[in-house]
Amino acid sequence: MTQELTQAIVELREADALAMVDRKLAEGVDPVAILAECKTAMDTIGDKFAAGEAFIPELIMAGEIMSGVSARLKPHLQSTPADDDKLGVVVIGTVQGDIHDIGKDIVVTMLDIAGFDVVDLGVDVKVDEFVTAAREKGAKIIAMSCLLTSAIDSMKKVVAAAREAGLNDTKLMIGGAPITEQVVAYTGADGYGKDAVEAVELARQWIGEA
Amino acid sequence: MTAAPEELYAERERRFNDAVALKGTDVIPVMPLTVHNFPTRLKGISNKVAGYDHEARWQATKEATLRFGWNFAPTNDVLASDFFASFGSKQMMWAGEEGGLADDAPHQWVEDEYVKADELEEFIADPNGFTFTRIFPRMGSRLEGLGQVPLPPLYWFSNAYYLQVLGNMLGIPPVREALRAFLDMADAQAKTNAANARYLQEMKDLGYPPTWAAAIMPAFDVCSDTLRSLRGSTLDMFRQPDTLLKAIDVMQEATLGLVHAAFAVTGVPRQFIPMHKGAAGFMSNEQYARFYWPTFKALIEECIAAGITPVPLFEGDYTPRLEFLAELPPGKVAAHFDRVDRKKFKEVCGDVLCFWGNVPASLLVTGTPQQVKDDVKELIDLFGETGLIIDGPGTIPDQAKPENVEALAEAVEEYGRR
Repeated sequence: MTQELTQAIVELREADALAMVDRKLAEGVDPVAILAECKTAMDTIGDKFAAGEAFIPELIMAGEIMSGVSARLKPHLQSTPADDDKLGVVVIGTVQGDIHDIGKDIVVTMLDIAGFDVVDLGVDVKVDEFVTAAREKGAKIIAMSCLLTSAIDSMKKVVAAAREAGLNDTKLMIGGAPITEQVVAYTGADGYGKDAVEAVELARQWIGEA
Repeated sequence: MTAAPEELYAERERRFNDAVALKGTDVIPVMPLTVHNFPTRLKGISNKVAGYDHEARWQATKEATLRFGWNFAPTNDVLASDFFASFGSKQMMWAGEEGGLADDAPHQWVEDEYVKADELEEFIADPNGFTFTRIFPRMGSRLEGLGQVPLPPLYWFSNAYYLQVLGNMLGIPPVREALRAFLDMADAQAKTNAANARYLQEMKDLGYPPTWAAAIMPAFDVCSDTLRSLRGSTLDMFRQPDTLLKAIDVMQEATLGLVHAAFAVTGVPRQFIPMHKGAAGFMSNEQYARFYWPTFKALIEECIAAGITPVPLFEGDYTPRLEFLAELPPGKVAAHFDRVDRKKFKEVCGDVLCFWGNVPASLLVTGTPQQVKDDVKELIDLFGETGLIIDGPGTIPDQAKPENVEALAEAVEEYGRR
């Protein structure tokens, strides 16, 4: 099987990648197989990011190419993958008092590509919105993002509220520029990813997929 | 006998300048580059109130400066909420805004593509006209009427006959509303300026120089933060790199002009340069070399040539960029760091840049005074003999424990005198 599409995405050759997808669809190639090639490419980009050979621009550009690919594949896919094909629900948002979305959005894209069912609550998300969404969607993970140091207390409140609500099977992940192990201990969260790739890795570990 | 204020003023400036010149100082200065809501929160004033009550905000800043032993009068970088309200800002959110943030939240920037990808060439061709008729309406609800003005280049109006056309344009009701908004902006700004001027005078009378007076971002950050957003500027790097570079050049010309204009107005010989998108992770070193570094370096050099000490705030992790920074003129830059490998900094830039910073926010908020002191001691051991100024990561975090902030100056008392 040719790897040219994988290679085009890894090299961020957007026009080439999209033209290849169009050509493959016209030739009757199974869209699920096309998606698999893309996923291999995204895994490679994730590995390069973890190794310090790729950076946020590459993640954003790769995500952009994937949006283009998805738009082309969508009419050809019989149905979206069944729920049990997904790795589990992650409820994610930037915590109350903080409207920064760049980091959170990259994590959303990476979790989605990794196969998680991502429920994105947006920014400035209130404490009870996390808890309610996690309960309603049966979330395995609540992921909280912030850029501002002042938002750390909001994370602590979500952790406390989730424990209070008895969401004992839901893991609590935090992330963002000010987050360190010390902040994890302060908030009572279960862990943090220092970047999007680590966040996905942690999520995989938590659900036993890594 | 207590020293006269002017002597204290000169002594404080000397300590700062000696640190910048890498000569070492008798007492290592503790200087927040900025403070936000930390001083007002200490007094039980909510962020919402602090954004509107400028007198209270500056008073709290004065009290904090005296209490915590800061070397300069810090610039309180809490923004004036009434200014942003005056034109219905959509680009800034603040506590107390209708439908806005909680009373305890700090001001926050709404990054967006205020110039769309396919508009960038148009912006480059006529930056003034584009800003006036396209960006301003996107920035403020009261400025939306400007989008209805089919404005020709302003030089077209250089005769009285054609000015009638301008009169017609200005008479349209939504445009009148925008003109009123401009006047309200002027009034709001005058109010906050007056409070600021009183604070600076009071601090001068006590012997405290101002830390800085104007903030100017490097050209790339203006293009990314305020025109195209991180996502937009990132996609430009791949899809239309030459157009992005042209926009950066347009911005650079304005940026260099601003350095001189700001100095002429304020007379403060320190230029604050906040930076965002050049940090580790936001781009590779190759991308940094192409899109960020040339105009940033030129900005630093422009300041130095004008006799101004550049105060760049390297927000984020700058470890991968240290080899670039080592090319800057030695002993001239007060380089403030948020996160960086300190030992590597010493090795690569120790002979070039004064180190300002960088006790972590997480430590100031969640740590103990002893942990803070240990961290300051590490800084003093590394840089105390050459150029060191103590601060948090760029500000004193709003939620910092007061005893941890006190520990900054206490650590200098214990380890930082010679």
